[in-house]
Amino acid sequence: MSNVRRGLILGLLAVVVGVVVRVRGKGEVEPATGTWRELQGPDFR
Amino acid sequence: MSTVALVGAGAVGVRAARQLVDTPGLGHLKIAARDAPAARRLARAVGAEPVPLAHVLDGEVHAVAVAVPGPAGVAIIRRAVEAGIPSASCADDDASIRGLLELGPAAFDRQVMVVAGCGLAPGLTDVLARHAADGLDAPDEVHVARVGVAGPSCRTTLRAAVRAPSREWRDGTWHVPERRGPQLVWFPEPVAARECTPVDLGVEVVRGALPEVRDITMRAESPGRNDGRARLGIGRGPAVDEFGGARVEVWGWHGGVRTSIVYGVIERPAIAAGTTLAVSAARLSGLIASIGLRVDLGGVRSAGATFEAPTFLAELARRGVKVAAFEGAQR
Repeated sequence: MSNVRRGLILGLLAVVVGVVVRVRGKGEVEPATGTWRELQGPDFR
Repeated sequence: MSTVALVGAGAVGVRAARQLVDTPGLGHLKIAARDAPAARRLARAVGAEPVPLAHVLDGEVHAVAVAVPGPAGVAIIRRAVEAGIPSASCADDDASIRGLLELGPAAFDRQVMVVAGCGLAPGLTDVLARHAADGLDAPDEVHVARVGVAGPSCRTTLRAAVRAPSREWRDGTWHVPERRGPQLVWFPEPVAARECTPVDLGVEVVRGALPEVRDITMRAESPGRNDGRARLGIGRGPAVDEFGGARVEVWGWHGGVRTSIVYGVIERPAIAAGTTLAVSAARLSGLIASIGLRVDLGGVRSAGATFEAPTFLAELARRGVKVAAFEGAQR
């Protein structure tokens, strides 16, 4: 029984660590708003 | 009338051959490959002359386009340098690029121009980076990202690069990033947001195109993680020659303000790489005179350091490889 409990605790701990790493890993993303415009003739001068 | 030799009949070689035969002024195209039957099939399809790989540089050849990765591609470029023939290579693996750069002194001594990294990235991205940098007073950071692969050998190279330790150019020196986790990068639609991992593919080439820049990073999406599932009929399988793209972000000072210029390109990677390689080789052979040269000295350089970016990009756009600029606000 103690092995089962130990396994559950370890599993829960792994999930918590995974969530923390995942969330913190997204921290560097820089939000941006705007559109893409195709380069035309004047852009090539 | 110019004669161009094309080496390689894979995904990029096929597209480069089609672009070369569509180039006004091309008199003759020779095609050779390690896979001789593939070279014969390609030559027959585009109306070129198939030649054995050992004799591809025989006779009058004005430029060589090499679409062969690894040491075999470097060996062909070495032969071209010794024969005094300008050449362009689309190899993107680190070993090939190092091998090509080592040919620099020999190419300079013989006054032969060699363009290293004439694919999507490195290649088109170096030209875009140069173009963006020229729009700033003092560029100091370049961040390049790519997604998609041209063919099986390109996928192998990219998978190895994603797994290998990567280097970045930070504060004017080589630096190994502590965190190698993927980062979301936004490309134009339909590719949109992808997770890209730091890779050491062509950072050295970008340095050649932008020697004034102190920070250079290169990222790529890991390709084909689901090979095993695809063999079992589950999942999409490895993406080869699906839509891919590249994004180039250059930061610097302009008018006393810190700002960035971002360019993106969405295209099938084999088409983008093949067109970049074909246009580079054609220009080295004396064709497409509308493309200006930044230098006319012998040596091994990147596409961005060799060609005038605006005219090169205009020629690519005329051939259907279109570039977009991001217009908006980054916070």
